[in-house]
Amino acid sequence: MTLYLGVALVTAAVVLFLIHPVIQGIHASLDREDDELTETEARKRVALLALRDVEYDFLAGKLDEDDYRTMKAKLTAEALAALAADEEAKETGAMGSAELEAEIAAIRRGLQGAVRCAACDFSNPAGSKFCSACGQPLLETVVS
Amino acid sequence: MTLLGEFALWIALPVTAWGMVLGYAGGRTQRGDLVLSAERSIYATFGLLAIASAGVTAAFLGDRFEYWYVSNYSNANLEFFYKVTGLWAGQRGSLLFWALLLAFFAVICAFTNRNKNREFMPYVAGVLQTILFFFVVVLLFAEVNPFERVELNGVAFTPADGRGLNPQLQSYWMTIHPPTLYLGFTSFSIPFAFAIAALLNGRLDARWIQLTRRWILTSWLFLSVGIVMGMRWAYEELGWGGYWFWDPVENASLLPWLTATAFLHSIQIQENRGMLKVWNMSLVLLTFLLTVFATFLTRSGLIESVHSFATNLTIAYIFLGFMGAVLAISTLLIVHRLPQLRSDNQIESFLSRESAFLFNNLMLLGAAFTVMWGTMFPLISEGVTGQQISVGPPFFNRVNLPIGLILLALVGIGPVIAWRRATKKNLQKNFMFPVAVMLGTGTLLWVLGARHELALVTWSLCAFVLTVILTEFYKGTKARARIEGEGYALAFVHLITRNRRRWGGYIVHIGFVSLCLAFAGAAYNTDSRFNLQPGEEVEVTSPYGHSYQLRYEGLSVSIGRGQRNLIWQAIATVSVARDGESLGILTTEKRQYVNRGTQPMTEVAIRSNLQEDLYLILAALDDTEAALTNDPEAQGIDLQILIKPLVIWIWIGCLLLTLGTIIALWPNVDRKRRDAEPSADVEPALAGAD
Repeated sequence: MTLYLGVALVTAAVVLFLIHPVIQGIHASLDREDDELTETEARKRVALLALRDVEYDFLAGKLDEDDYRTMKAKLTAEALAALAADEEAKETGAMGSAELEAEIAAIRRGLQGAVRCAACDFSNPAGSKFCSACGQPLLETVVS
Repeated sequence: MTLLGEFALWIALPVTAWGMVLGYAGGRTQRGDLVLSAERSIYATFGLLAIASAGVTAAFLGDRFEYWYVSNYSNANLEFFYKVTGLWAGQRGSLLFWALLLAFFAVICAFTNRNKNREFMPYVAGVLQTILFFFVVVLLFAEVNPFERVELNGVAFTPADGRGLNPQLQSYWMTIHPPTLYLGFTSFSIPFAFAIAALLNGRLDARWIQLTRRWILTSWLFLSVGIVMGMRWAYEELGWGGYWFWDPVENASLLPWLTATAFLHSIQIQENRGMLKVWNMSLVLLTFLLTVFATFLTRSGLIESVHSFATNLTIAYIFLGFMGAVLAISTLLIVHRLPQLRSDNQIESFLSRESAFLFNNLMLLGAAFTVMWGTMFPLISEGVTGQQISVGPPFFNRVNLPIGLILLALVGIGPVIAWRRATKKNLQKNFMFPVAVMLGTGTLLWVLGARHELALVTWSLCAFVLTVILTEFYKGTKARARIEGEGYALAFVHLITRNRRRWGGYIVHIGFVSLCLAFAGAAYNTDSRFNLQPGEEVEVTSPYGHSYQLRYEGLSVSIGRGQRNLIWQAIATVSVARDGESLGILTTEKRQYVNRGTQPMTEVAIRSNLQEDLYLILAALDDTEAALTNDPEAQGIDLQILIKPLVIWIWIGCLLLTLGTIIALWPNVDRKRRDAEPSADVEPALAGAD
């Protein structure tokens, strides 16, 4: 008797638990939430990680200077494009958080503002001593 | 309790079916109420399976021998501990246990994703419930119901006592090794569910991989540790000194490990370079299928019943049907999504880390294929020629040793090659030192007298890989110390914590080197057997040159009268000295358990150090009958003395592997910090090198 009562109770509890949302119309969210990376953010992240890899590989002596420069120039361009695309997406869509904006601005400065080559006018990342585009030494001192 | 458990298993059937249908339907129609109900069904399934498992355990603890499963895997005298672990001692219980663990992981997955990744969750719930539904169906309808009663000529009856647990399974390792493997097998269902969800909802970027990376690593860790625990059990308990036999059951657990390892490497290419999307989908599918296949192989009784093939084919058909359906549906889905799975990039150069990874994948899959082929060969040959031809260790070793060596070399080459395109000049520069160390090690070992070619090659490669990895740590620390202006110790810690995946991975690789080092040691195993009377001394020489003096002190016999299921126990005491210096005593035993007229079991003695294991086996008693009566004339024994170099490095390697994986798994503080204070991490990463 106790057994049947137990079985009945378990069954009833399970059935109620399962059909409750359907009867009451309780809906689980199916939307992507905000803190997930969007397509453009993901692209930006990949581009920045790639830049980090190149830096690391160069520092660890796995890339020689020529390859490092060409690759860095290419990846910097990719990263800037990804940043721009991301910013555009942010402007048309929901506004990103202030922190994110600050981050983008900081990265922008890091990528663009730092050193402009006197010979070819290419924007080199902060800290560069040689121009990524033409290879000329960069004479300006970097303002940190 | 046991009856309630049986009912709970039956209730789980409609519940999993409900969750399966509502998951897919909810995802298709985007109805949140259906999805919520499907997710709730996961919690309900876990609860029901927990009740069912508790039912089985209660039956074990209550000595309910009217249940077939209990009467076949326990008896009244069995130790409490083994009654508790009886749930996974045999096929029937362990299938239930498998389902319980899967439901447990499904609950964790549903709970942690209750507020995020919602676009995946309907299908994730659907897929997980499909797998659970399948296992409940197997349990209920494939003649493996753990709640089945014992029947004699169609009449239920209760045996007076159970048949007891196989003595070989009465080991500490055996109680934790299967659950660990099952944790690995079952947790791989989650990445699989996310992959299928990605195929169904069309979000085919690297998102599903990022979401499941921790799951994959966790599952890989459990698999690795589970496999090594199995080795440990074999080494200590089977009593003949080996740890790996290429036995079908071992192979079955190795297969998903190989493909999961391939997957762990290839996802990095997708994450970093947007390539290999189809490949990764296929690998996750393949790994999942292999975990099911492993369960099938080890728990369907197919291999056990190789001699009596037709005992229970129902379960074989159900498993094959399920695997076939999974394979067909997943392939269709991948083909359907093929246009969206195109690569974003192409491999730029043969000399790049991408291609090293690809090569690694090919090797791992090659190994998986040979292991699969060798394991299935007896069945295939029986099907084709009607004759069973087993493939022994020589086949597996011949194919897998070269593959293992190539993989070992790749572990060393990978880190030094840059992403995208490596420069030959730099490669030369970077390889110079490690290659020099490799050649130096080889020469040194040769001079010291090592002549076994394969072992020499392996150890030299180990030295090469170790040098590469340690150099990486050194260079990384130095670079970081220079950029950040930190001290070396701090820079080292930050180096690891800022890129846990990379450095955790390197530590895992050091563990792998340790394993290879140990495996090669087997080339120098020695094995000698002596007939000894009490007081006699023998000497064996270790491959290192020193020698052991072993003196057989005598036999002590105790009659167990069935306590702890022991009938008798004969313990041989041996005192051991190394080059004349005493090392104390070792004991090795023969035990006769009550069980099923089994042969006496051997308990070995192992004395382990970093160099080698001294492994003693009481191979035989001269006259067992007389020895049991303490006849002074019958104290002679056959003592087998094995020296097994470097075995301890297997267990050390496993610890390193665990440590590295945990480092890689550790929640990433980095990312949070990057979100909070943007300049801290991004800027140094982007700042140019001086």
